Amino acid sequence: MKPKTDLTDAELLRLMMSGDEESFTLLYKRRHPSIYRFALQMSGSQQVAEDVTHDVFLFLMKDGHVFDPNRGSVSSFLFGVARNYVLRRFRGDQLTVPFTESEDDEPLEQVGNEPSPIEELTKAEMIDNVRRAVLSLPERYREVVVLCELQELSYGETAEILGCAIGTVRSRLHRARGLLLAKLRPNQEAEVLSSAAVESARCFA
Amino acid sequence: MNCQKFESLATELARGEMMDVDVLADARVHQAACSTCSSRLRDEEVLTRGLHSLAIEMNSLQASPSVEERLLASFRQPGVVVPLAPVRNYRPYWLTAVAAILLIVFGLVAVVWRGSNKPKNDLVGRQPAVEAPKQIKTDNDEKNVATSQDNAVNSPKQSKLKPNRNPRELPAKAARVNKPENAVANHASNEVATDFLPLGYLNPASLQDGGQIVRVEVPRTTMASFGFPVNMDRYNERVKADVLLGIDGVPHAIRFVQEKRSQ
Repeated sequence: MKPKTDLTDAELLRLMMSGDEESFTLLYKRRHPSIYRFALQMSGSQQVAEDVTHDVFLFLMKDGHVFDPNRGSVSSFLFGVARNYVLRRFRGDQLTVPFTESEDDEPLEQVGNEPSPIEELTKAEMIDNVRRAVLSLPERYREVVVLCELQELSYGETAEILGCAIGTVRSRLHRARGLLLAKLRPNQEAEVLSSAAVESARCFA
Repeated sequence: MNCQKFESLATELARGEMMDVDVLADARVHQAACSTCSSRLRDEEVLTRGLHSLAIEMNSLQASPSVEERLLASFRQPGVVVPLAPVRNYRPYWLTAVAAILLIVFGLVAVVWRGSNKPKNDLVGRQPAVEAPKQIKTDNDEKNVATSQDNAVNSPKQSKLKPNRNPRELPAKAARVNKPENAVANHASNEVATDFLPLGYLNPASLQDGGQIVRVEVPRTTMASFGFPVNMDRYNERVKADVLLGIDGVPHAIRFVQEKRSQ
């Protein structure tokens, strides 16, 4: 008999549904970080991310029998449940993300936050700008970016979670990246300019 | 490759996705020739790096231990985890067992019921055989014969041909001798029947020694072969018929029986 750590998610879920606490703990430890990060990347709030994580696994305890292995993996199932809880939060609690932005291509004015060119070059700043830009995306584009780019899931897995076609995922991601570029462009231009200034200084030195 | 096509591929190129070698080569050629598309691809690559960095930075994040503690507390509460799957697995077996028990009970009841009715059936089986020639010659005779034929119908010998095995209806038949023409009263008060129709060349000699009438079900289309109108909407239904068999077992005549409509 193989150890429980070698069991698949579906096997752990089955054991968990028969009341095995150890299986639940293993499944939680294995899957909760990605669910938590997904909720965090979607909402931008640690509190919301923790609540969603809690709700997702509580749902799994009560209604884990609705999982159908023929329709996808346990991981995709959990992402799908998490997505529903996040969207419910957005609609129920009127949760607002840091930037209220329509899905138009207008550049995000607040993203720059008026840092100095040197600060813009820092990686942390760039990551922060990307995070803000992602959070400012409309939900249907944000979830695709989060799943495909940040969770690094395949188009197929993402389509499974979102319940849409792979082509839809592909086109939404293309559109989302266009929106992100539009929001980040002022920073990128500043980055390019500052890089050019550094190179020029070196040339003249 | 033009700029529009390159634009559609920019995301895939920046993400380093697999694509056709020829398409990739065309895209690289176009990128080298078009500064706008080259800039666009550079932007996409910067974005990809930014997203990748964000993913790496957040990769170590996870929920606080308090979430797990709350969940474990919930897990330990009775009734939170609903083990429906095992119940579903056992359910078919349980149902099968109940079905088997019911089947046995009904089987025993049927055996007991048949045993209690056996003497009556024996009496019925000893009723005199049919005077077949009379039935076919005159209407009055037919009516009388029909009454006596019913007794033969109840003979156990014809059980596999769906005979009417209810002997309790016998006393009611005596009152049904006088019926309108072409509506011969049958053993049951709720049935009417046609005249007996000869099957082939009738040899009355073979009916001298008696015969039997057996109740059968035939396709409704059989009626058409005897010239009766048939509703084609119901052509695939079956209809009851009494077949007159000679002592030699050869069928000599047939009549069609129908349930009398309640008024």
